[in-house]
Amino acid sequence: MPAKMMIFCGSDDPQKAFPPFMLGSGALATEMEVTMFFTMSGLNIVKKGGAEKIVLPGAPKTLPEFIEVMQEGGAKMIACSAAFPIAGIEEQDLIERVECGGVATFVIGAEEADIVLTF
Amino acid sequence: MAEIDLEKLEVANVVDARGMACPGPLLEAKKSIGTVSVGQTIEVLSGDASTKNDLPKWAAKVGHEFLGVLAGEGYDRLFITRRK
Repeated sequence: MPAKMMIFCGSDDPQKAFPPFMLGSGALATEMEVTMFFTMSGLNIVKKGGAEKIVLPGAPKTLPEFIEVMQEGGAKMIACSAAFPIAGIEEQDLIERVECGGVATFVIGAEEADIVLTF
Repeated sequence: MAEIDLEKLEVANVVDARGMACPGPLLEAKKSIGTVSVGQTIEVLSGDASTKNDLPKWAAKVGHEFLGVLAGEGYDRLFITRRK
């Protein structure tokens, strides 16, 4: 059974938005199962056109490239609907292959995960 | 067991990940090892300071064989044999 990693992505600050992808892509390469949960301003990462605006000079990939690596590698991406009104977004604003989930999705996923990271 | 002469080793694929920060070289190694057959070796070029520590751990974790590292001019040459 591969180890399961759950990553809480709660910010669009580049210093907090990139590490989940850097560590998450490494976890996929190490054959772990990765789920990313986007909430609060972290929802801007999975909003259409949002990742392009979050830039971190010196990072090995851009955020859209990292999203592709994660999705190609089979990571599950979940947008927190509880934060939709706070972030001012709706389901149709999300990029493809992102599911909607709520608090129960996160807490159950976190309970079942071997590793939980929060950013 | 005879020590492997990395300089003379035949590699199936060379990945140039110089100029890429972590985890770029790891992701390139992962991608590259999937393109060669079991038993074949890849060479990863990396200028990232942690790759020589990270790749042996990764290889051991996922079941490949890390053969060793050679120092280049400002970068490392790392050799991994696909084992599964």
